[in-house]
Amino acid sequence: MSTAPAARSGGPGNELVPLLPRISRRTLLAGTGAAVVAALAGCGGSSSAGPDPARQLRIGAIPDQDPEVLQRLHATVADSLADALGIPVEYRPVTDYAAAVSLFRTGDLDLVWFGGLTGVQARLQTPGAVPVAQRDIDADFHSVFVVNSSTGVTPADDLRPLADLRFTYGSQTSTSGRLMPAYFLREAGVDPEGFPGGPGFSGSHDSTLALVASGTYQAGAVNEQVWLARSAAGEVDPAVVAYARTPGYHDYHWLLGPRAAERLGGPDRLTAHFTGLSPDRPADAIVLDLFGAGAFIPTEAANYRRIEEIGRDLGLVS
Amino acid sequence: MTTVLDRAVPPAARLARDRRRWAWGLTAVVLTAAALAGAGLFSGSVLNPGGSAQFGRFATAALRPELDPGFLSVVAGSALVTVAYAVLGGGLALVLGAVGAALVSRRTWGRRRSGWLAARGLLAVPRGLHEAVWGLLLVNVLGLDPWVGVLAIAVPYGAVTATVFADLLDEVPGGGYEALRAAGAGRGTAALYGLLPSAAGGLLSYSFYRLECAVRSAVVLGLIGAGGLGYQLALSFTSLRWEQVWTTVYALGLLCLLADVGGRAVRRRVAAPPSPGPGRDPVLTTAVGIVVALVAWSLWFLALSPAALVSARAREQLSYVASAAWPPSTQRSLLADVAATAVDTLAMSVVAVVVATAGALLLAGLAARSPGAGPVRRAGGALVRLVLLLLRAVPPPVWALVLLFVLLPGVLPGALALGVYTLGVLGRLVGEAVEEADRRPREALRAAGASAAGAWLYGAVPALTGPVLALALHRWEVAIRDTVLVGLLGAGGIGVLLSARISAFDWPAVATVLGAIVVLSFAVDVVAERARAALR
Repeated sequence: MSTAPAARSGGPGNELVPLLPRISRRTLLAGTGAAVVAALAGCGGSSSAGPDPARQLRIGAIPDQDPEVLQRLHATVADSLADALGIPVEYRPVTDYAAAVSLFRTGDLDLVWFGGLTGVQARLQTPGAVPVAQRDIDADFHSVFVVNSSTGVTPADDLRPLADLRFTYGSQTSTSGRLMPAYFLREAGVDPEGFPGGPGFSGSHDSTLALVASGTYQAGAVNEQVWLARSAAGEVDPAVVAYARTPGYHDYHWLLGPRAAERLGGPDRLTAHFTGLSPDRPADAIVLDLFGAGAFIPTEAANYRRIEEIGRDLGLVS
Repeated sequence: MTTVLDRAVPPAARLARDRRRWAWGLTAVVLTAAALAGAGLFSGSVLNPGGSAQFGRFATAALRPELDPGFLSVVAGSALVTVAYAVLGGGLALVLGAVGAALVSRRTWGRRRSGWLAARGLLAVPRGLHEAVWGLLLVNVLGLDPWVGVLAIAVPYGAVTATVFADLLDEVPGGGYEALRAAGAGRGTAALYGLLPSAAGGLLSYSFYRLECAVRSAVVLGLIGAGGLGYQLALSFTSLRWEQVWTTVYALGLLCLLADVGGRAVRRRVAAPPSPGPGRDPVLTTAVGIVVALVAWSLWFLALSPAALVSARAREQLSYVASAAWPPSTQRSLLADVAATAVDTLAMSVVAVVVATAGALLLAGLAARSPGAGPVRRAGGALVRLVLLLLRAVPPPVWALVLLFVLLPGVLPGALALGVYTLGVLGRLVGEAVEEADRRPREALRAAGASAAGAWLYGAVPALTGPVLALALHRWEVAIRDTVLVGLLGAGGIGVLLSARISAFDWPAVATVLGAIVVLSFAVDVVAERARAALR
C-alpha cells in the first residue's frame, strides 16, 4: 500500500480507497457519540447494581490442595457464613498465594483462609488484621518428605541422604510444601537450596507427587493432609514412598481484615461461628468436610511467631 | 498480518548478496549452539523415561475431555469473561496505540532524532513486560477490579501497537501530507486527511491481528487469577485434572479459531478488495460493526467503571507499592542472580525459536492450503492446522509441567514448552506466507518434470527464507517476554527469580528484576531489528 502514488490516493481505481470510504464527519461523530453514551450508560447501570461492598463480607481461600472442589462448594461456605452473620457473603476465588496476600492488603478480601506463612505476610502488610480460627489439625500440622522408590533410599529420621537427590518443593510460599520442610532440612544440616541443580518449585502438592512419581525429581515435600488423603483414595503412584515426617507446627488459619473487623465489632462472632460448626449438623458437616477438619478451634497471632522468624531467616518475609 | 505488511513493500530484486548476512548467520549459529549447550543438551542425558506414564495420562486425556454439563456451563461462562477481557484490552490498546503513534512517528519529530529515540525508548518499558507481569503488578494497585485484566493487556499491547502504527504511517508516501501542510493546514488535520486514508488498510489489518492476539493474552491473565478460561484452566491444572484441562483447552482452541478466522477474513479483504467501486465494503463494515458491538457488550458485562482507576484506594495502594519499591535493590547477590537467570532466559528463548522455526519449516508445506490439492492432501493439511491450533491453545506453563515429566529439570523443559507453543503460532504464520508466495516458479519446475520435493526446495524455499526468518526474529522478541511467563510458573529463567521476589514481597528486588527484564527485551528487540534490516 505504501507504493501507491500519493497523487492518486484519492482517485478511483486506487485499491485502498474503498477500505474506509465516505464515512461522513456527521456519521462518524454521531456513531462515536452514540457509542460513548451507550458505554457510559452501561457503566452507570451496572456499577450501581449488586450489594453495597461496605456491608458485604468478601471471603477468599488459597486453593492449596483441591481448588476445583473449593470452587464448586464455595457457595456452601459463603451461605453458612451469611446465615450466621446476617450479612451478604461473597466468595472471590484466587489462584495464587501472593495475589491473595495483596488482595487482603488492598481490602478486596475481608476474610481469607491463609497458610501459616502467607498469613504472616498478610498480617505484616495489613495492620489490624486478626487471626480468627484454625482447624483442629492445624495446631499440630506436619509435612511429609517423599522419595521415588527407585532411589533406593529407605525411610529414616535422618534427612541428610536427601541432600544428594533432585528435590522439589511445592509452591514458593507454601508453609507445608516449602517453608517448614526447608527449615527442618536446615536443622538436619542439609542446605535447603543446595540440592543438585537447585530445588524445584512444582507449584502444588499434587504436582510434587506427580513429579516425584515420574522420577524427574527424586524427592519432594508435601502437606501431610494431602498425602494422607491421596493415599487413602489410592491416587498416589506406587513409586512414591514416604521418607520422613516433620515435627509439628502451626499452619492454616482464617485471617480477618481490619475494615471488616471494625464492621463486625472484632473477630469474636466469626470465631464463635467457626468453632461452633458441628459434624452432627449436615450443613456444617459439608463445610468441615470441605476443609478436611474435625472441628475449628480458636487461634492467636502468637502461634505464628516461629513461622515469622523462619520466614525472615529464609528471606521469605521482608 | 505480517504477510500483508510484508507484501506491501515488494522487495527490489537484489542481485548481489548482502555481506552482512554472513555475519548475522554466523552469530545465529554461535548463539544457537551456546543456547543448546546451556540447556544441557551436550552434557549427558536430558530425558527421564520414567515419566512417560505421567505424560501418557496427559496425552490420553485429550481423547476423553470432561463433558459434565455443570462443568461445561462453567467453561462457557468463563469463555465469555475471556472474550470480554480480550475485546476491551485489545480495543483500549488500539486507542492507546493511535495516540502513541502520533508521539513516536518520525514525522512528529522530524529531524529531532534524539527526541524520537527518547520517545521510542520510553515505549520499551510497557512493551518489555509480559501481560502476566503487568497483571501481577496491577493486582497490587487495583485489587480485584476488572481494570486489572483490561489494562494488563492494553498497556503492553498499546505500546507495541503505537510502534507499528507509527511505522505504517511513516511508510505511507508523504506527498499529500506535505501539500496540506504547505497549504496551511495544521499537523493534525494534515495527518488525518493526508496520511490516514492511505494507511487505513494497514492499520485495519493490524488492528484485527492485535484483537486475535488479545484472546490468547486474556487466557494467560486467567492463569494469574483474573478470571475467565485461564482461571478455570489454572484450577484444573493445579489439581492435575487433565480431562478438565483438555475441555478448557478445546474451548480456548475454539475461541482462537474464531478470532483467527475472523481476523484472517478481514485481512484478506483488506489485502485484496473484491471490486474497487464506490461505496463501503460490506464485509469490512460488518466486521468493524461487530467489534464495536462487542466492545459495548464487554463494557456492560465486566461493569468497568472509570472511577475505579482514580479512586482513593488505588492512589493509596500505588503509593504503597511505589514507596516500598524505591530505591531498587542493588545487592550484589541479587545482581548476580539477575545476570545468571538473564543468561538462562536468553538461552531458553533462542532454543524455543530455533525449535519453532525448524518445526514450522517442516510443517509449512502441509499447513498451507494449496489450490487444486487432492482430498488426502487437504485432510492432512486440515489435521496439521488443527494440531498447530492446539499447540498454541495450551498455554506454555502447562506444556512446561507436562514436558517436565519426561525431561530432567533445568532450562530445557521450559525452553521446549515455549518452543512447542511458538511452533503453534509460527507454523500458522509461515503457512500463510507459503499460501501467499508466488506459485509460478514451483509450477514451472513441476511442469518441467521436477519432483514435488525438488520443486518445493528450488522453487519455493528460496523466496520464503527471507519472510520466514523475519517472522522468526519477530517471534524471538515475543519469546523473551513469554519466557518470563513460563518462569513465573516455575520453569526456569528470570521469571523464577521474579516470582520468588514477588512471593516474598521484596519490592526493591522486584523493581531491580523488572528493570533487568525491560533492558533484556529492549536489547533483543534492537538486535532482532538489526538482523531483520540485513534480511530486507
